[in-house]
Amino acid sequence: MNKLRKQYLPFVRAGVQNLIAYRMNFLGFIIGGLIYCFVMYYLWKSVFMASGGDTFMNFTMTDMVLYLFLSNVAGEVTFSSVSNDIAEEIKDGSIAMRLIKPVNTDLSYLATELGGTAMRTVTFAFPVIIALEIYRYVTLGRVMFNPVNLLLFLLSIVLAYLVAFRVNLCFGFMAFYVKNLWGMGILKNSIVNFLSGSLIPLAFMPDWLRTALEYMPFASMSYTPVMIYMGKYDTNEILFRLGIQAVWAVIIYGISKIIWLGAIKKLSVQGG
Amino acid sequence: MISVNNLRKEFKKVIKDPGLKGAIKALFRPKHEIIAAVDNISFEVEKGEVLGFIGPNGAGKSTVIKMLTGILTPTSGSCTINGKNPTVDRKKYVKEIGVVFGQRTQLWWDLPLVETYTVLKEIYEIGEDKFRKRMEFLNEVLELEDFIKSPVRTLSLGQRMRADIAASMLHSPKVLFLDEPTIGLDVVVKDNIRRAIMKINKEEQTTVVLTTHDISDIELLCDRIVMIDHGKNVYDGSLRELKKNYGQMRELTFEADPASNLTVKDFRKNLKLNDDDLIIKNDKNVFSIRFNSDSMPVGDMLNYTLSCTKVKDIAVKDADIEEIIRRLYKEGADKSE
Amino acid sequence: MRRALKIYRILVAQNLKRLMEYKADFLTGAVSFLIDQAIGIAFIFIIFSQIPQLAGFTFEQIVFIYGFSQIPKGLDHLLTDNLWCVGYFIVRKGDFDKYLTRPVNPLFHVIAETFQIDAVGELVVGICLMIYAAPSAGLYITPLSVILFILVIPFSALIYTAIKITTAAVAFWIKSSGFIIQMVYGMNEFAKYPTTIYSNFVRLIVTFIIPFAFTGYYPCVYFLTGENPLFNIGCTVLISVIFFGISLAVWHKGISAYESAGS
Repeated sequence: MNKLRKQYLPFVRAGVQNLIAYRMNFLGFIIGGLIYCFVMYYLWKSVFMASGGDTFMNFTMTDMVLYLFLSNVAGEVTFSSVSNDIAEEIKDGSIAMRLIKPVNTDLSYLATELGGTAMRTVTFAFPVIIALEIYRYVTLGRVMFNPVNLLLFLLSIVLAYLVAFRVNLCFGFMAFYVKNLWGMGILKNSIVNFLSGSLIPLAFMPDWLRTALEYMPFASMSYTPVMIYMGKYDTNEILFRLGIQAVWAVIIYGISKIIWLGAIKKLSVQGG
Repeated sequence: MISVNNLRKEFKKVIKDPGLKGAIKALFRPKHEIIAAVDNISFEVEKGEVLGFIGPNGAGKSTVIKMLTGILTPTSGSCTINGKNPTVDRKKYVKEIGVVFGQRTQLWWDLPLVETYTVLKEIYEIGEDKFRKRMEFLNEVLELEDFIKSPVRTLSLGQRMRADIAASMLHSPKVLFLDEPTIGLDVVVKDNIRRAIMKINKEEQTTVVLTTHDISDIELLCDRIVMIDHGKNVYDGSLRELKKNYGQMRELTFEADPASNLTVKDFRKNLKLNDDDLIIKNDKNVFSIRFNSDSMPVGDMLNYTLSCTKVKDIAVKDADIEEIIRRLYKEGADKSE
Repeated sequence: MRRALKIYRILVAQNLKRLMEYKADFLTGAVSFLIDQAIGIAFIFIIFSQIPQLAGFTFEQIVFIYGFSQIPKGLDHLLTDNLWCVGYFIVRKGDFDKYLTRPVNPLFHVIAETFQIDAVGELVVGICLMIYAAPSAGLYITPLSVILFILVIPFSALIYTAIKITTAAVAFWIKSSGFIIQMVYGMNEFAKYPTTIYSNFVRLIVTFIIPFAFTGYYPCVYFLTGENPLFNIGCTVLISVIFFGISLAVWHKGISAYESAGS
């Protein structure tokens, strides 16, 4: 364990240094995300008004606010720049430097990400959650905070992170094959946003689509933890959803390994 | 042609303590410091002259070049080239200069080299006839023929540098700025590029200002050198003069008889020279002694050496320019302290 | 001006040649933006499956606003995409040197160098949506409104460009301003929907501070209702000219603060 810590600490440190060097970018993305939340907030507010009722497809406006911002929190916590990093390293050839180091490549990427993830969790996720609880208290007039839900949410979001990290890893490996990864990135983000329910709650979609999407890995990346926190699932369902997340974490892990093996072969060909 | 008066450029720099802690501190309470990268530098360059602009890393050479080429705006002072001020009439001004930054390319990376030239032809408004003649000339001097149809990204460093020089020469500039034009190149390519620069200078009376760390560039190309350190002028004059003033260093190399067990300490012991005037290196039995011939004449040094040990082989060399520059840098550093 | 056009044509031609080398990339880029847009529409569609109208606008009218807002965005994206690179790395890496040593306006040069064909995705979607929505959106069609329609689009696009120039130019002082462009540009989300759904404060911002409302909602109000052309169209033109002027001033100030990079 100590050896592991020693070996990967430099990667963690590099990640944190990088984060500090680009702290303004970090801030920019967070604020950009919040702006988006507010646009959506106003949009939903007027949708609620137009629909004339207190609830819209079983969501109250308070639920909607919670859902919007928690999806954003889930997005920030599971955010990973690993695909860009890999693409960059493949482009400038520095991936070779990573390969010759006596460490597990995936883990070294994970270690580099840790600092940023911790930073986003502490400086963004927790304050937003606290703010949401205050909001909930003010609008509903009673404390709704449920520590058990928070803990389950944290567990679920760790699983969500593992799924998202692997998905991004796989996506990054595509840089071995495609040059315009930037355009693909836009595509990936909008597809993930849609399929994971961060754009529209999956609950609002037609039943057949919702059921299908709930079983896909994308729901595991955002929808499941958010719904758990909001208390929309009962105990059995929570266990079931966590199970699905775990299964996807394993499957995507396997897929990323397979792609990596293929990509590595390609690398040696390019190196010639 | 070029006239630089009290040129000064300040940069604001964030002071960062080392390590993670320092970085975090800088995140919340950044401390600033104003640094004069170029500190009141003045010099003149005549038409047709090749000026070597030298100095240690971080001395401010590139900053001066960037001000001369209109990239940076001076904090104070002025530079005029051919009567024009780079930051005031930038568009007219840059038509008269050519710039090559050795570490950077201005060629279109993904396209065949020749495409870059056709684009530059339009940008610099070069007529069809003139362009053709110009390409012929550059082709002859820089031998672009072999790779002019290849995409730039596939060129070797040497080819790329030749291509970049050609790109900067396309519009027949009156002044050519070359920032480290031979960096990272092998000897043959370096030689090729030097010859090209000489030829361009001779045939077109192009004024050339070049920065370099390669002493041979200076010895072969430059009529005059300006040396700066810590942003200040340290030396301005011809190479010959420099050699005369600072060229007293000699290098004596010999191979001692292994039986004599000569050590550096023994050798130094009886010489009353200070450290600047005597530098000794040895590798097993081969000794290399740099000494100031003003403090100790060459004959005396030879006699002394022979009295110390039996030598198998012995040779004395003149100071090379590298040595002179090293001493000059040192002097500059002492002065500024 | 003629010379500028010629240089522009040549630089764009170079760009297209490069694109031809990476055809697959062009396709992925354009298709990506197309699908991105399609998802945006799916979103509106799902919302409207539950409510008859939003802030007094029918589904078709909202689709029209959405479609219209993609045109200036797409045009700006097509023509000035390189400004992102200025903010993200051209200044930081010192690559801006190149533009300053050429006898061409650096802003023009930097913009002309990239012709971002990915934007076709936005333009195609925008046009299709407008065509789809036009028959039932109850457009206000007069000779004048048709002329104004054509006239206002470049000015709306210029608002995007001005905002990008200003925010990209910040990099001259702080080295990398990608995040600022990202942040401010992200506010174009507000342009897609009627500004009446926002709070007064937000409306004030997207009208006068970061005036994206003039790239979608306001001009569309005129095309949909014929109301208040002086504000809806006139202010679009005025705001775009003012912001463009400011952006040029900031840019020029920025160039003299440029510090290049390296030794």
